[in-house]
Amino acid sequence: MEATETMMGRGRDAIDMIVDAGSFTEGTIGASTFDDPEFGPGAVIGTASLEGDTVTIIASDANAFNEKFPVVYAGIIGMEEGYKMAQAVYASLAADADKPAEEKRPLVLIVDTPGNGPGKVEEIFGMNKATGAYQLALAEARLAGHPIVAMVIGRAISGAFLCHGLQADHIVSLDANFGTMIHVMPLTSVSRIIRKDLETLQELSKANPVFAAGPRFFYALGGVEELVGELDGMRPAIARHIKTIRDAKAAGHQDELGPWGRGELGAERQGRTVRPEVIKLMNQEFAAVAEKYAPSR
Amino acid sequence: MPKWKDLQEQSFLESDARARAIGLLDEGTFTELAGPFDRFYSPHLEVLGEAVEFDDGLVAGVGKIGKTPVFVVSQEGRFIGGSIGEVGGAKMVNTIRLAIEFHDELVTKYPDLSDEEKPVVVISFETGGVRLHESNAGLLAHAEVMDQLQKARHKVPVIALIGSKVGCFGGMGFVAAATDAIVMSEFGRLGLTGPEVIEQEMGKEEFDSSDRALVFRTTGGRHKYIMGDCNALVANTIAAFREAVAELAALPVAEFEKLRRIGSPEAVERQLRGVALAAEMQPKDARDVWAKAGNPDPVALTDMPLGEFLAGVKRLSV
Repeated sequence: MEATETMMGRGRDAIDMIVDAGSFTEGTIGASTFDDPEFGPGAVIGTASLEGDTVTIIASDANAFNEKFPVVYAGIIGMEEGYKMAQAVYASLAADADKPAEEKRPLVLIVDTPGNGPGKVEEIFGMNKATGAYQLALAEARLAGHPIVAMVIGRAISGAFLCHGLQADHIVSLDANFGTMIHVMPLTSVSRIIRKDLETLQELSKANPVFAAGPRFFYALGGVEELVGELDGMRPAIARHIKTIRDAKAAGHQDELGPWGRGELGAERQGRTVRPEVIKLMNQEFAAVAEKYAPSR
Repeated sequence: MPKWKDLQEQSFLESDARARAIGLLDEGTFTELAGPFDRFYSPHLEVLGEAVEFDDGLVAGVGKIGKTPVFVVSQEGRFIGGSIGEVGGAKMVNTIRLAIEFHDELVTKYPDLSDEEKPVVVISFETGGVRLHESNAGLLAHAEVMDQLQKARHKVPVIALIGSKVGCFGGMGFVAAATDAIVMSEFGRLGLTGPEVIEQEMGKEEFDSSDRALVFRTTGGRHKYIMGDCNALVANTIAAFREAVAELAALPVAEFEKLRRIGSPEAVERQLRGVALAAEMQPKDARDVWAKAGNPDPVALTDMPLGEFLAGVKRLSV
């Protein structure tokens, strides 16, 4: 595959390429404003319109450096960034609290982040809570009817991808020719840690997408709904997915969306075939004993 | 497997996943789901020529404490560090899902269902997060667990227990943070980035991962208790954890919202006050924060007996 222009480190450019021209207002979502430039500068949040619809945008700014938390730069999601992103979700929920489910604004997550803040202060105060808070907020908004689409444009690495991306209803990714990185660790590091030589792993990854790095492997596992091969394909793809998600929610098919939906997709694409078997067996085994655990009346 | 009675006073820290699962529940009530006799092991480890376990290092099942149906997930640190792959991940996700479905079924069937008759989920964590041998599947399973935790909200309380050797790190660090209530022993450790990784990123002078005391006061049970990152700190026996679970299981589900650290705009506001304090203090050591919380002799907090610690310690309030 021919390498093309990369979008890595260009979260702000991606916003402009995706939303209606000139429509992005940073720092305002519904009645909430975020006007302290020093608060969570690595997180870019705001409101835009996409094909005329109001949407919340959440992205990372790879050029920002958080003066207060020096491990936060290059798009890393630190404590402030994680909570700021969570607040952006809660502000979206609040803004549409009185609207029926089918009118709740979509959230578009633009994903280019290498990690969560890996520092001592972060561990002392609990980085795990910040990333967890954002994920719970996203799951709440998704279940409340807000369509959520994640658009992977650069780095979607491990815990940071869990934090910012994997709670979406649908995930779209620029294809591998854009240098898009989706992984827990590069194969070279996996090879070192699990002590298997790189050639063996590379060979095995041709048949099994389960440990190799890259958007196509995630596609095969059902971890990404769609790969987009052109930059100007991002905008229409996101709009299309928002529509599909709205329709699925309106029809009550929430289980086709989000992490659970991607589990089913993983089976469909033959990437994760044991998962459904385990689930099926557990369901049968529990059904056989459930009566024992119900109250006796 | 030792007798149930003998498990009770056994060290929680030293207990394997199945002993914890069985010992936490009332005697004879545990039914394991997708257990070792079902032989669901990781096909991905097999392909790599690695040893497998027929439970994939994760015990899932259901039992009872008093009148409460308790769905249990118990992770085995002795098997590849308690790491989460496709099979173990699916077991964890589906245990929570089964609890939610059972809850919905029971409340429909029994309009007079009491709080203590409603199911709870207990997760005994011992894990570093994603299993690298099948990292992509492990990562995706984490997202599914977070989704189920949100789906369980206001229905099925999820209780985290952390007191096993490996601690609870990586992606499972935020899974634990996202539960309703966290019970730890002083030997439990909870965090996101493991000590070795911080050292690698920031240098040994900033964080020496071989300094056990430093590691414990950054991520250990006593620190987490001071920070409000766990709700209870208990003795290192299965019985002590069991008692804490039994107390929690009797609470109405609405009470759990007050025990949470995250999961609402208000909780996020509160956490942000802590972050502002972190920015202001720039602590070099967790002890700086203990002092800030109002403990005049933070050094002494590490080694004093647990009872004395619990009786006298000041917890951080922001």
